[in-house]
Amino acid sequence: MTISDETLMAYADGELDAAQKAAVETAMREDPQIEKRLAQHRALRQRVHAAYSAELSEPVPERLLTAARGAARTQGSKVVSLEEARAAMKRNVSHARPARPQWRTAGTIAASVVVGVSLGFIMWGRTESPLMRSAGGALVARGQLARALSDQLAAEQTRTSAVQIGLSFLAKSGDYCRTFALSGAVSPSGLACRHGKDWEVQALTQGTDRAGRDPDYRTAASAMSAPVLKLVEGQIAGEPLDQAGERTARQRDWKSAGR
Amino acid sequence: MNTSENPQDIHEQIVTLLPRLRRFARNLARNPHDADDVVQIAVERALARSDQWRSDARLDSWMFKIVRNAWIDEVRSRARRGKIFLAEEAGENIGTDSMERESELLSVQSAMARLPEDQREAVTLVLVEGLPYKEAAEVLDVPIGTLTSRLARGRAALQALLGAEGEAT
Repeated sequence: MTISDETLMAYADGELDAAQKAAVETAMREDPQIEKRLAQHRALRQRVHAAYSAELSEPVPERLLTAARGAARTQGSKVVSLEEARAAMKRNVSHARPARPQWRTAGTIAASVVVGVSLGFIMWGRTESPLMRSAGGALVARGQLARALSDQLAAEQTRTSAVQIGLSFLAKSGDYCRTFALSGAVSPSGLACRHGKDWEVQALTQGTDRAGRDPDYRTAASAMSAPVLKLVEGQIAGEPLDQAGERTARQRDWKSAGR
Repeated sequence: MNTSENPQDIHEQIVTLLPRLRRFARNLARNPHDADDVVQIAVERALARSDQWRSDARLDSWMFKIVRNAWIDEVRSRARRGKIFLAEEAGENIGTDSMERESELLSVQSAMARLPEDQREAVTLVLVEGLPYKEAAEVLDVPIGTLTSRLARGRAALQALLGAEGEAT
C-alpha cells in the first residue's frame, strides 16, 4: 500500500480522521519505510517549531501594547487593578532604559519640583500651577489636578483627560490616596493622599518613558512608574477601590469612615 | 459580534497574542522593524472593526489574516512609491563558530527565508503557529488543497536545505 507524502504530512500535523489514521498505521506496520518518512515529517515539524519558540519570550514593544489596550479606556468602565499595574511594570522593566525616572519622596520633593513640575506643566497647561506648598510645608495639589483628584472617577475618564487617575485606595494611615498622571510630553505621574481638605502629593515621578511619547494611548496603569507603584504597595490597606468604592469615597468627599 | 458585551476581553486577548503576531509578521516581512509596524497597523485595524470578529472564530487566525493583509498593503504601497527594500537575511552576520544550538536555530530561519513566499506563509502558519489546515487556508484565502500543496512543497524544500541532520533532534 502506498501512502502519499501529503498524507504522511497530514498525519504528522494531526489532520487525519480516525479512518485515515488507521490506514496509515496499518501501512506503517507493513512498511518500515513509511514509519521512517513519518519520523522525518515529525522531526521537521518539531525543528521548525523550536527554532521560532524563543521569539515568543521577547519583550513586546510598548507601542504595541498600548495600541492593543489603547481603545479600552475610551470604552470606559474599568478601574485599574494592582495586578495590571504590576504587569505593566514588569513589561516596562524588561525594556532596559538608560535613564531611571527621577523621583522624589515628600521630603526631597521640593528640590525636584522646580525642574520636574515646571517642565511638566509647561507642557501641561501653562495657565495654572498644579502644585503649591502649603503653610505646613507639604506639597498640595491645586487647580486642575486637585479637581481631578476630587472629582474624577477612573472609570469615567477618557484618554484625553488632562489628568489620568490610576489606582484609588485607602491607605494604612486612614487617608484615601490616588495615583495620577498628567498629560504632556514630560507627563509626570505621582501619588496624592487626601489630608484634611488638601490632596498632599506624596511622590512625583517625572516622565515615564512611553507616556510622554504617546499620551493618546496612555493608560493609567502603564503611566504609573515603578517608585509610585512601590509606594502604593507599601501604603495600601487591602485592595484598591473598585468603581463603586471610588464613587462612594467621592460622595464622602474622600473622608474615610474613621475620621 | 460578542465583543460589545465584554469590550475588555478582546483587548487583553490581543495583548496575549502580540508575541505570536510579531513572530508571524517577521516571517512575512523578514525585517523586525517592518514587522512591528505591520503589527501595530493590524492591531489598530482589528480594534476598529472588532465587531466583525465572530466569537466562534479563532481570534488568532482572524488577527493573522489582518496582519497579512496589512503587510500586503504595505508592500503594495511601497511598490507604488517605487521604494525598493531588501529583507534582512536571518543569521547573515553570525559566525560559524557560534554555539551549536544557536546555529541550529539560525539555519532553520535562514532556510525559511529562502522559501518562496507562498510556501513560507503556509509553513509559518502550520508549523510555527500550529494552526489547523482549515484555519491556515482561511488566513491565506486559498482552498485547503492549495494550502496543503504549498505546505508539502515548503517542507520538502526545507528538508533539502536543512539536510539530514534535522533528524538528529
